[in-house]
Amino acid sequence: MRDKLEKLREAALGELNGAASAEEVQAVRTRYLGRKGLLTEVLRNLKDVPLEERPLLGGVSNTIKEELSERIGSRLLDIEQSAREKALIGERVDVTLPGRGIPYGRLHPLTRTLDEICSIFLSLGFDIAEGPDVETDYYNFEALNMPKDHPARDMQDTFYINTEWLLRTHTTAIQTRMLEDYAGATPVKVICPGKVYRKDDDDATHSHQFTQMEGLVVGYNISMADLKGTLEGLAKAMFGESRVIRFRPSYFQFTEPSVEVDVSCHICNGKGCSTCKGTGWIEILGAGMVHPNVLTMAGFDAEKVSGFAFGLGVERVAMLKYGIDDIRHFYTNDLRFLSAFKRFE
Amino acid sequence: MNVSTKWLSTYVDLSGITPQHLADRLTLAGLEVEGIQPIAQGTNLVIGEVLTCEPMPHSDHLSVTTVDTGSQVLSIVCGAPNVAAGQRVIVAQNGSVLPQVTIKKTSIKGYESNGMICSLLELGVDPKSLSESQKEGIEVLGSDAPIGGDPLAYLGLDDAILDVKLTPNRSDCNALWSLALEVGALLNRPVHLPKAPVYTEKESTLVVGSATAKCPVFIGKSIGQLTVGPSPLWLKRALNAVGIKSINNVVDISNYVMIETGQPLHFYDASKLAKPEIIVKDQLTGIVKTLDESEIHLHHDDIVITCDGHSIGLAGIMGGDDSKIDESTTAIVIEAAQFSPAQIRHTSRRVNLMTEASLRFQKGLDPMAAAKAVERSTQLLVELANASELEKTVVYGQPDATPKTVSVTASHVQRLLGTPVSNDTILDIFTRLHFSPVVQGDTLVCRIPSYRLDISVAQDLIEEVGRFVGYGDLMGTLPVMPMTLGGYDARQTLRNRIRALAVGFGLHEVITYTLVHATKTTQGVNPIPHPDSLISPLSDERQYIRNSLLPSVLESVAYNQAHKQSDFQLFEISALTHTKTNEERLVLIQAGKQVLSRWQHETRDYDFYSLKGLVEVMMEELGFAPQRLSWIPVSDHPFFHPTQSVKVVLDRTELGILGKQHPLAAKALGMDPVLMAELNLEPLLKSKTAKIKYSAINKAPVVVRDLALLVERTVSAAQIEKTIAEAAKAVLLDVEIFDVYTGERIDASKQSVALTLRLQGEQTLTDAEIAQTMNAITEALERKLSATLRG
Ligand SMILES: [Zn+2]
Repeated sequence: MRDKLEKLREAALGELNGAASAEEVQAVRTRYLGRKGLLTEVLRNLKDVPLEERPLLGGVSNTIKEELSERIGSRLLDIEQSAREKALIGERVDVTLPGRGIPYGRLHPLTRTLDEICSIFLSLGFDIAEGPDVETDYYNFEALNMPKDHPARDMQDTFYINTEWLLRTHTTAIQTRMLEDYAGATPVKVICPGKVYRKDDDDATHSHQFTQMEGLVVGYNISMADLKGTLEGLAKAMFGESRVIRFRPSYFQFTEPSVEVDVSCHICNGKGCSTCKGTGWIEILGAGMVHPNVLTMAGFDAEKVSGFAFGLGVERVAMLKYGIDDIRHFYTNDLRFLSAFKRFE
Repeated sequence: MNVSTKWLSTYVDLSGITPQHLADRLTLAGLEVEGIQPIAQGTNLVIGEVLTCEPMPHSDHLSVTTVDTGSQVLSIVCGAPNVAAGQRVIVAQNGSVLPQVTIKKTSIKGYESNGMICSLLELGVDPKSLSESQKEGIEVLGSDAPIGGDPLAYLGLDDAILDVKLTPNRSDCNALWSLALEVGALLNRPVHLPKAPVYTEKESTLVVGSATAKCPVFIGKSIGQLTVGPSPLWLKRALNAVGIKSINNVVDISNYVMIETGQPLHFYDASKLAKPEIIVKDQLTGIVKTLDESEIHLHHDDIVITCDGHSIGLAGIMGGDDSKIDESTTAIVIEAAQFSPAQIRHTSRRVNLMTEASLRFQKGLDPMAAAKAVERSTQLLVELANASELEKTVVYGQPDATPKTVSVTASHVQRLLGTPVSNDTILDIFTRLHFSPVVQGDTLVCRIPSYRLDISVAQDLIEEVGRFVGYGDLMGTLPVMPMTLGGYDARQTLRNRIRALAVGFGLHEVITYTLVHATKTTQGVNPIPHPDSLISPLSDERQYIRNSLLPSVLESVAYNQAHKQSDFQLFEISALTHTKTNEERLVLIQAGKQVLSRWQHETRDYDFYSLKGLVEVMMEELGFAPQRLSWIPVSDHPFFHPTQSVKVVLDRTELGILGKQHPLAAKALGMDPVLMAELNLEPLLKSKTAKIKYSAINKAPVVVRDLALLVERTVSAAQIEKTIAEAAKAVLLDVEIFDVYTGERIDASKQSVALTLRLQGEQTLTDAEIAQTMNAITEALERKLSATLRG
């Protein structure tokens, strides 16, 4: 009897191991543990065994029954798990294929550069002023201390519409309008971005249309040192914390003193390279203290207030910042150029 | 301007100052030196004497020489045709670095060569200043050349040319004497300018005058006797160094003095003048034949030199051909005058003649330069052209010689520069600049020399201090001012939001040129009438100020399509500025298809609805609810598809046109049709935007009903939606069209439209209420749109 139980046990376990599917496992369960199952039958025949052996055999058969139930359960779990694993493997994706495209666009590199500069000055409490591309001779020249026939006008070859109107040659024209708007009231803190036009043939470094940004501050005791500090902040924000700037005396009709501003080369850190033509410095903007004539013409008391102004070419900044070699790229709008402003980290 | 450092050093001591050092000092003082060019270059050069010179056996052009360099005798193989024994020559010794080669010991056909005998060309001297024989052969020095000495110094070629870029305010430094004063001030070294001796002169018969305010001063002088001949070497070299060709001693002197004083001079051959009289006039017509033998047709504004009623020169630009100096000239009249810079500029531009003289007049001259130039010319003519029979100088007009007085206080200097500068420093700088400063209390009163035309207010003096002290040590500070808020204004904010939305929707931003060809002004959307154009454009291509944004953007589209880009979206925002209008516009472009995943073949052609959808969402985000927009079909626009285009209207204001490009318009531009819109942004700035408001969630259940209608194809979705909305009154939550069918299964004139209505009351709707609403809707659809309900 005991041997019989042991044989049943072994046979059942053997069949269980051979069962490949849940159905086959269920069949094993039915065959051995079902109401008419083989083990059930053995237990049913327990009454034929001598009384003193019954408890022992009962115990053995219950143990076998429990073991079998448990093994069936775990076998079912195994089968379920391997089926699930197989299904999941079947759902494998090639993670190296490209993701589904979310349409994206990019701002023009000039807009990006300008936005970046604007944000620096917005954080310093500046306003942003714009003006018309088509300007009067007065705002573009006369109010800037450049009367008709002034030789300084030759520095900027001008597109005239008629004797009175022209395409502005510099964003300083906006500065003139701003000064007039403020009508002598301080503080004036404003930046003036915009398109400007010069009668230049287009080539890699010249464009008849380009973008400038003018900055203007007027108040009490505004000095060259303030100009330098402000531009140092700009240079660091645009080209990195370690940049320093240098003032070289220069000339603009609407500022006095006037300076050209060089930034230490961000490519070679001032050691000299092709970008900075070996000098370690890159000329980046023109600046100066607002000429008293300009202040007076706009209704300010030039004896009491002073101010500084600076102007930079946005294309030039973008070209330096992104390493662009031809100014015409900005206006050709080749998508390969427009979408080339990715991050390379 | 080209500045010869050697020439400069005749006025101010430059010993111990390298050309590079001088250039740096000038640049940091605002006189930017853009380049340094040595006249001749070469290290380890020495003057030698050719002792022996034998032709090399088996060579048709080489010679074997021995050369004494003072310290040693070198054997040198020389290929020059003109080498001969007894010559004094330039020897580049072993190790010498020349512009093209470095010399080292070699052996040629078994003959040892220790150096090279040089031509000036090999030393990098500008070939324009060399004769043919100098270019082909070695340079043969004079017998006075010291053996073992420096050949460049002997030849006067120990010079470097600085290319100085002068800013317009410092045109005074176009005169070498003024530059010398500037350099002297910067280096704090004394300056010695030549002083002409006083000559015995006889009364002059010359009459000079001016009949025009454009010539306020005219100085003339007759020289009765002189000899035209070649210039001495130093004069030739000096002029060559700054790029002026030597002609003869007399002409060379006029150029030399122009460089020195900045004053353009003109010398007339006295025998060719009808009488000793020079009168400057304007308001003339006729023709002047200038030195370059071109004939200038006079304009009445031109300033003209006349003699005895005849025009003999274009004042300040070029003299006449008839009275020019030549080899036979024996007597001259010197002209040094002041002419209106503006007029010289106008005339010079009109006749397209830019001369050294005209450029100098345009930039403005020291009012005292004319007198100085006449004195200096006289001196040099006496010294170099045997001038005699000098007549007294005759002067028309009065040069304004009153020195300007400009004052400044030390505290003003410190305040404007933002750095402490001592009184003594300021005083020293002004003294070095010959401003003759006088201290009056706190104030420094300066008497400005006549050549410093740029100094007129205190700030000009402060700039002098700034550039002398230098800005290197200036410590940057931030302005101390009242706090201000700053920020973008409404227009900038709108623009920024549109940009952000457009980029979010996948559009790339473009920026295109403002100036366009005339034809582009007729190809736009709602073009601004009468666009402005330029008086003198660079080309027809860029003559007009654009009056619509679309044609420019389409150029970019065509460019990209031509470069194998077919699927993209673009946008541009720009103001269209004209003398009378300023309007900000937005252009949107969708070309080809939206590619979601190429390898999964998930693409979707852009169509009318994709662009319309974009505008709808954009407008809603900008604060304009969809109900405020209407879409009115446009069937007659030449550049838009007749059945896939609409006027976009906000409230009652037209914004612009949106739709598909007309196939013919696309073909004309050589491109594939795109979806495009140009919208005026001005109405958006003037219209009220809706506030975003939270609405509490209505908990009453939503009833969903589908409807399928058969209507004429001319019935628009908008009409159906409007009819339903009016009939359903307040219980209609929304209508969504989910299918539109036209095709075989229905009448060709009809379309089937399927919609989902969502109804919701304030309380749960009863069956009766729902039925009542649906009946009202179907009844209205049947009555107003002749719709029939399907299944
Ligand atoms: Zn560099």
